[in-house]
Amino acid sequence: MHVLYLTVICVGILGMGIIDWRYKLALFYNKRRTILVVGIMMAIFLAWDIIGISLGIFFSGSSPYTTGIMVAPELPIEEIFFLLLLSYMPLVLYRKFSVK
Amino acid sequence: MTMYVLLNLAVLAMLLILPVLMPVRLNWRGVWITFAIMLVATIVFDSLIIASKIVAYDMDLILGLYIGKAPIEDFAYMIAAALFVPYLWERFGKK
Repeated sequence: MHVLYLTVICVGILGMGIIDWRYKLALFYNKRRTILVVGIMMAIFLAWDIIGISLGIFFSGSSPYTTGIMVAPELPIEEIFFLLLLSYMPLVLYRKFSVK
Repeated sequence: MTMYVLLNLAVLAMLLILPVLMPVRLNWRGVWITFAIMLVATIVFDSLIIASKIVAYDMDLILGLYIGKAPIEDFAYMIAAALFVPYLWERFGKK
């Protein structure tokens, strides 16, 4: 059960990846541009998270659904994948629903 | 009470200054649909994450307003994503 949360996130990322691949929207349209956009957005979100953590606003709970693997204090590995999903998903959606 | 909301408003303001200073043509239909889908997803999944104690908040530092179980401040992340990702994409499309 400890990988449940991580798995759900990865399913989300894969789901978006399949839609991307199927319609040639982002990574399968322009790899460099996608990596740039997703990379920048992830960096922004990560900085945002780190500030929030250092201000004591949020912290990692202990849950039977998480791996417990920490990348930094109060920053679980799942968060990195979540931020990837949070950055990639709007790109795929935006590209899908832009009039084409 | 308001630390989280101040942080999120500050970040949102910083992010949204760029499209004002360096505007780019966005496909607004795409943005709205993206926003709507991500809003629903956020309400559902943020609530699930909080209910299952995967993440926790210092109650003193949040407003105490919720949509579902998600603190209203959390929505700043998805608003940033729904607006800024399309902006970045279009911005890097300019030759």
